[in-house]
Amino acid sequence: MLGSLFKSTLQNTLRPLRQPEFDATRLGSVAIALPAPNGLTVPPGCAAVLVDRGGRSRRQAAGTRIAAIEGETAWCVHPGPYTCELAPFAGAPEIGLRVHFAIDASDPRATHQRFDLFLASEAGCMVELGGFVELAQTALQRELAQGNLELPPCTTLEEWNAFRTGFNQLMYTRFGVTVDDCVPVDLGATRDYAATLDARLAARLDAVLPNAAAREQAAAPVVAQEAFVPACEDARALRRLFLELPCLMCAVRMAVLPADQGRFRQHQELLRRLDLVSLSVGTMPALELAAPGQPLAQEEQQRRARHSRRAAATLDEAWALLARLKVAGEAPLDGLFDEADRIVANLETEAGARRAVTARDVELEDA
Amino acid sequence: MTTIECRSVAVDGGMLTITATRRPRAGRADVKCSVPGAPAVAERMQQVVRLARHTEPRFDSRDQVVLSLDRAPGEGDRDWELAAVLADRIVRGVYTPQREVVANGWSDAWHLGRIDGRRLAGSPDGVLLGGADALAHLGALNGQPDPAAGISSARAWFPMHSGGEHDGLGWVEVSVRPLARAGRDEDDPVSVPDVDAVRQAQVAAVLAGSRHFDGRGQGQWRTTVRFGEPRFSGDSYQLALVMADRMARGREFLARGRVIATGSSSAWHAGRVETVEALAPKCALIAREAGQGDRILLPKEWEAALPQGLREELRARGASLACVERIGII
Repeated sequence: MLGSLFKSTLQNTLRPLRQPEFDATRLGSVAIALPAPNGLTVPPGCAAVLVDRGGRSRRQAAGTRIAAIEGETAWCVHPGPYTCELAPFAGAPEIGLRVHFAIDASDPRATHQRFDLFLASEAGCMVELGGFVELAQTALQRELAQGNLELPPCTTLEEWNAFRTGFNQLMYTRFGVTVDDCVPVDLGATRDYAATLDARLAARLDAVLPNAAAREQAAAPVVAQEAFVPACEDARALRRLFLELPCLMCAVRMAVLPADQGRFRQHQELLRRLDLVSLSVGTMPALELAAPGQPLAQEEQQRRARHSRRAAATLDEAWALLARLKVAGEAPLDGLFDEADRIVANLETEAGARRAVTARDVELEDA
Repeated sequence: MTTIECRSVAVDGGMLTITATRRPRAGRADVKCSVPGAPAVAERMQQVVRLARHTEPRFDSRDQVVLSLDRAPGEGDRDWELAAVLADRIVRGVYTPQREVVANGWSDAWHLGRIDGRRLAGSPDGVLLGGADALAHLGALNGQPDPAAGISSARAWFPMHSGGEHDGLGWVEVSVRPLARAGRDEDDPVSVPDVDAVRQAQVAAVLAGSRHFDGRGQGQWRTTVRFGEPRFSGDSYQLALVMADRMARGREFLARGRVIATGSSSAWHAGRVETVEALAPKCALIAREAGQGDRILLPKEWEAALPQGLREELRARGASLACVERIGII
């Protein structure tokens, strides 16, 4: 009797605390990061990233128990490696890049882990591989379209190496992932362009001559167009700007060591303007109010949200430019500073337009 | 302040002139338009220009562009739209034409870069015509395929050299549409209007060979090949033809500008690029014509004999040059 009492007490003490439910099987294959409940023991091979409301992040290693402080959100992150296929040009779907990448272990030299910032500002709930690849592809396509990276027809080895350097740095600076390997591949087997065009032509033909099959298709739910909900878009874009601008400024400050007085002034001026944009974002008026207590018309809210979204897109360009600054080395920086000037000017314009109450306020009347 | 002019043929046969200026924005509107006596047309012009800017990858808010038409166009005439879009691009340096632009075309989908048609009948010399049978979308100015079209077409340029005054860049355009899946393999239907039977057979053989090397594209496409100037001699157009075909079929990386290529081969099925005649005059021609973003492809054999400073000169203009012995990736 006494023995059994002792035994049950011992069992109670030694039994581990109940683990919250968490499915780690998707991590590392189709999901990069999943929201983790508090009290979870971080699965082996993974890391936990905890982010507070202000965007400050910390990491916990595998095997520890997640202990989130009030206001923190936790994710379980699998470092990979992951494999994906990117199409560098929208107009050339049958040629692509096969990319192997991994999430960086935390870099002790850096104050901000870029991937943690990505989680805090862009992840929303979870990061799935598919969604992440789409973001990476958009970033790559934009850099190629702007001519900041070059992948011309009949790329030579030298050009390929230059592209790889730029691409690796872009992925690291923009997303905090390291590219282990990247090779050109023929995607013809999986993305048949002839079949795509065939379907497109058939759809167009059906639009002109509706037949039974087309009517059936029309009755079926069409591919949902990406809905533009001003409140969501605006909140997401502003949160990105609010969290990322300070980190971006910090990185821009460190990326350039001004060579002379002129460059120093230019650099300071850029940082000052970025600081003002950051301030403007931090004090942004509410989307739905024209003035305190005064609601704003629906179409003006739409306009404001569009400007926020464009400002967030400009932020992507700023990260890409930072990557170019980092690989520039000793090369002349005039072109890059002009680009920086353009990007900051765009940020100022969009932030200003977002503050404005009506479209008319955006543009001063011509003198 | 930069000022340029673009023109368009009006309904009455006269010319409409669009003057574009660019100046620092200083808090003003990004685009401002004026048309004497027709505020509605000015409003439409501002809308057209703003929509067309959505197809540009690089946005710059530091400039203001002011566009003006010298007189009001006819009632319902929209053929000036293409000229307005090009004027806006030229004044900002987004597009650099080789000569003065006269353009006619209208569109209901400028935000996709598509050009739907034109009112102008016939094809007067030197007029850039918009529409499905001519310039179907803005990317086609650089020969790029339209990523949203049902029929994919791409252009590549090649130097035409005859030692005369008419030396210049000629273009070849390849349009492909998916073959109805009838299962007719090997002999793809290739049509080449306006050239003689020998040239037709040669074009078909080149395409068959290069697609064999590619491993795809056989029995998939119905192909139409057009030449800007159908009367020329020599085989040096072949590399340009092969590149245009690969771009049209979505199997080649794209240049931002035009692809300018010269080269032939006796073995396209092996993907080999062989040398052609007239190195010096062709290089001189290319150095003269190449612009921002252009990609120049020359045979590998030319590499050692390239004129001094050609690479540097091209790089300074934003073009790049490669000497290739083989098509395909690296």
